[in-house]
Amino acid sequence: MAAKPRWRQVFDAVDRRVAGPVEAGTRSDAFGDLVAVSWRLSRRVQQEMERRSRRALHLLNLPTATDVRRLSEQVAALRRELRELQDRRP
Amino acid sequence: MSPSFTPSVVIERVERDVDRAIRRGRNGLRYAAGMHRPKVGQSPKAVVWRRHKTELWRYRSSDVRFAPPVLIVHSLVSRSYVLDLYPGNSAVAFLLGSGLDVFLLDWGVADEADAGNTLESYADDAIPDAVAAARRAAGSDEVTLLGYCFGGVLSLLTCARHPELPIRNLVLMATPVDFNGMQAITALVREGRLGPDDIIEPTGNVPPEVVEGAFRMLKPTSEISQYATLWENLWNDEYMEGYQAMGQWTRDHVPFPGAAFRQTVEQLVRRNALMEGTLELGGEPVDLSTIRCPVLNVLAERDHIVPLPAAEPVPRLVGSEEASELRLPAGHVGLVAGRAAAKITLPGIAGWITDHSNRV
Repeated sequence: MAAKPRWRQVFDAVDRRVAGPVEAGTRSDAFGDLVAVSWRLSRRVQQEMERRSRRALHLLNLPTATDVRRLSEQVAALRRELRELQDRRP
Repeated sequence: MSPSFTPSVVIERVERDVDRAIRRGRNGLRYAAGMHRPKVGQSPKAVVWRRHKTELWRYRSSDVRFAPPVLIVHSLVSRSYVLDLYPGNSAVAFLLGSGLDVFLLDWGVADEADAGNTLESYADDAIPDAVAAARRAAGSDEVTLLGYCFGGVLSLLTCARHPELPIRNLVLMATPVDFNGMQAITALVREGRLGPDDIIEPTGNVPPEVVEGAFRMLKPTSEISQYATLWENLWNDEYMEGYQAMGQWTRDHVPFPGAAFRQTVEQLVRRNALMEGTLELGGEPVDLSTIRCPVLNVLAERDHIVPLPAAEPVPRLVGSEEASELRLPAGHVGLVAGRAAAKITLPGIAGWITDHSNRV
């Protein structure tokens, strides 16, 4: 088996030293809290942005992502009803 | 002069390095441009049963030497082509080559219409109907059920809730049952930092990016070392084919239906209900000890997604007289794809199945 090139040996040595602590960090409670807080925050920011842009777009009588989402939910509900009918068919 | 520095050796090395540099440049350009993507899931097959997005595929074989057929149940969060990556790297092709009649249950890509799919939708409806369809297509009285990852959980639930189904053998590959053993991937929802509804998006499903992100978080530096390995092997056409196919699969997750995700979090993760024996589906308790068929629990020793403690307890939970364990030196995906799969893992699995099948 061919020996690993020098650069790869250096890379692996660094990786061995770094990977363990990084993995331990991502499994820590502090990291979990950070991810959860950032997740909720980004959702809230997104909702707020949507609310504001919705108001502006509706003023111009333009559809928004929320409108499209509602429509696709209605289509999905119709598809589910269709499926139920198909499943009931003998 | 040292023998390793004779003129002929030096010329040979220079020629090799020049050749590799050319190949590296060509493969690098192709990779960056997204050209020469390997065609995945190419083994010839026919759809023998379909319901909505779910399809049951039967792979073509003129060399079926064993019965009953093997019905593979794939996970809900990834694409099933990992089991049939490309010629020379295909678990399905390996099983066919072992003389087995192979069916695969593919769930398709969930969307808004599938958001209401519960664990019961799979365990009580789709899988039992697929078992019936596979038996019809193969003209067999029984099937061997083989579940991979979360597909193994669904297979377990099906067997427990429907002991009347003619399941000859049950093979579980990297199947989590003790969700306390999956600390890393489930920590955020287990401890209530996030609830299912924080994660489920307006389509009603868990977006694939979240699934992918959760897997990445398990080994955050692995992507960088993969790029280092890619650079090291960029000249190697065979390596590139495997790398691109596997890379495509790892970025190709599918949405997890929201209702099934809620049950998974609330029952399997938070209450560890499979281990505690408190799982309820459709208002009825699920008792894994009702499973009586021979069971093979396949464990991947280097699995970081479903670590050993999460998958090990299967034989203690089922009621089978024969519940064996096969520990293999592989990672989660290495069980079914890659060089080690063809040489080590798949021969062990196929061997157990053929030993528990009849010659035809």
